[in-house]
Amino acid sequence: MSKKECIAMLLAGGQGSRLGALTSNVAKPAVSFGGKFRIIDFALSNCANSGITTVGVLTQYRPYLLHSYIGTGSAWNLDDRNGGVSILPPYATQTGGAWYEGTADAVTQNLGYIEQNDPEYVLILSGDQLYRMDYDDMLANHKRNNADLTIAVMPVPWEEASRFGILTAEDDGRITKFTEKPKQPDSNLASMGIYIFNADLLVETLKEDANDKNSSHDFGGDIIPKLLGDGKRLFTYKFEGFWRDVGTISSYHETSMDLLGPNPDFDIFSTTFPIMSNSSTRPPAFVGKDGNIDDCLVANGCQVLGSVKHSILSTDAYVGERATVVDSVLLPGAKVKDGARVVRAILGENSVVEENVSVGSVDTTKDTAVIGNDVVVGKGEN
Amino acid sequence: MEKVIGLVTCNYSAKESSPLNESRPMASLPYFGRFRLVDFAMSNFVNCGIRTMGIVMPYNYRSIIDHVGSGKEWGLDRKNGGLFILPGSAFGTSRTGARFLLRDLVHNKVYFTRSTSDAVFFSTANFVYNVDLDKVYEAHKASGADVTVLTKTASEKDADVTAFDVEDGRVCGVHHGTTFGETMFLDCFVINRQLLLDMFDWYAATDYLDLFEAMAGDFGRVNVRTYDFDGYVAPIFNKRAYFRANMDVLDPKVAAELFPSDRPILTKAHDTPPAKFEIGSHVCNSAASSGDRIYGSVSDSILGRNVIIEAGATVRNSIVMQGCVVKSGARVENAIVDRGNVVPAGTELRGTPEDVLIKEKAH
Repeated sequence: MSKKECIAMLLAGGQGSRLGALTSNVAKPAVSFGGKFRIIDFALSNCANSGITTVGVLTQYRPYLLHSYIGTGSAWNLDDRNGGVSILPPYATQTGGAWYEGTADAVTQNLGYIEQNDPEYVLILSGDQLYRMDYDDMLANHKRNNADLTIAVMPVPWEEASRFGILTAEDDGRITKFTEKPKQPDSNLASMGIYIFNADLLVETLKEDANDKNSSHDFGGDIIPKLLGDGKRLFTYKFEGFWRDVGTISSYHETSMDLLGPNPDFDIFSTTFPIMSNSSTRPPAFVGKDGNIDDCLVANGCQVLGSVKHSILSTDAYVGERATVVDSVLLPGAKVKDGARVVRAILGENSVVEENVSVGSVDTTKDTAVIGNDVVVGKGEN
Repeated sequence: MEKVIGLVTCNYSAKESSPLNESRPMASLPYFGRFRLVDFAMSNFVNCGIRTMGIVMPYNYRSIIDHVGSGKEWGLDRKNGGLFILPGSAFGTSRTGARFLLRDLVHNKVYFTRSTSDAVFFSTANFVYNVDLDKVYEAHKASGADVTVLTKTASEKDADVTAFDVEDGRVCGVHHGTTFGETMFLDCFVINRQLLLDMFDWYAATDYLDLFEAMAGDFGRVNVRTYDFDGYVAPIFNKRAYFRANMDVLDPKVAAELFPSDRPILTKAHDTPPAKFEIGSHVCNSAASSGDRIYGSVSDSILGRNVIIEAGATVRNSIVMQGCVVKSGARVENAIVDRGNVVPAGTELRGTPEDVLIKEKAH
């Protein structure tokens, strides 16, 4: 992609309320994932790996950690002289100010940013999905189809199609129908919430939408149906790789566990399309004399003196002597003290499980246990 | 410490030559998986607030520049101050033991004259320790010394370490090589900047000497005082010391002392995922860096980044550096395997605990 041919608008303002305690004090895109990453790393790395150097990040909910994590964008090579990362929080104007009321509204409120960069195309992304995608290829498709809007789609199992926004397309990919959560789907192509718009059309449409009192200002709910109704050229871009929206505790846990095992679907070790992150400099992971690790990802700064199986230990996690951790995710700085037992649990950042305390249960009919960030679990509390 | 600038010298070599330092300057020797020796000097400086730092380069500087880059990881990519890459002279690698070679300092005089700082901290890049230099500088100011040198009582013989003769905390002599009980110089000192500039004139005729050798006859006039450091220290000038200093960090007490989170040792960041301990792997008393994939058995060892230990391979009491692959059934014991080596299936690399085997860097 040449300079400013295409810029990205990354929606990162969501709370991710279904992640419960994990997002009590950080925004969902800033939630740690896979040992050393945060969820937003995936979208930012995709941008960098696709040659997009101008990225506006729209933030709103609990933005402090997210802002400081993104910093200048240099961790993703996005500290570019001509563009780079711009953090776009809600702001005040002469007539007041407003929170972002929907995905489309968030972009509408930052039309100034788009106009200032004056790109030909605008890529709309979510900051809370895990996948690798070459947006440059998607853009090439968009241009080849002479499209007004291209929507990335992925085939989902038919029985699950009614949970998604479903697109029906002709053989050439032209979209004929869009239905949000259809009861009887006639297609299994689900929208991934990744869009490439012709910039002029996007600006025009959002301005109209802003004045529409009946609109909920949502891309899926309002903008796409409107453009489809207007007879615009909407095309699908089919994606068949690994893609997850870790929207709930159980999907977060499952997706984390998917990184383990002999041949995981998502290869975080790939060097051709690296996932970059703003990691801290900590010494290598240390396994003690009686430490025992089996089928785990273990980040720098970890100390393992006990036994850990089929789990992810993030930066600076600690597992004490005689402690056991199974099927769990320890977020950065989480501490499992001597003799404690953690099973099917997610331990928040800098949380502590005190000595000989037990968290979680092997019973898979029970929900994954979650300990919030900075929470200390003592005796008799769990 | 705004009023202090730093200078790290890297233009010297050890008396003992080994395959580890033939292919690279001492400063860029990998240490404990993900670090390089120069990280300690740089981080100690940065952690006490120094934001202007010069590095005197040896002729084979490629790996140092590759590592430090713009100084970004140390917060040295700055508008004011920041990182200064300074050329060293060809004389530096002549194994004379001079580590603060006057010629290298004089040739870069402009680095010192352009500064308005009160004092300059110097360090070489071959010692491993994490020190609070704020305290050293406070002691320097409080004592009114011209120069304050960081020292420790030597616990053994080391031909490469400088020793001071000290009376009541004041240096009165200097010699190469330490023995047990002597006051060893940790190759780090602070000097008032104006005095340093004066010394360039005093010692102009003997610029082939180390600064302290040149000063040797002047300890009556120049007030050089010691600051005794009581933390973990490892001088790394030979293979044996290198191996031991790495293994020392497997002691969590040493690790905690060297890598506290409030005074971090900073280093170049890489985008490698966490280490993966695969099903059936067995790892104990070892350190694993990001990007490692371990299927086999590892004990009492340190693995650099992106190392693969295949199933059925065994690594014991060894250092395996970045990018190495130990193939299935291979055995590595009492060895240092330098970067990028592939240890073929079923083969053995074995030294003794007293004399570790070095497998030189793959080219």
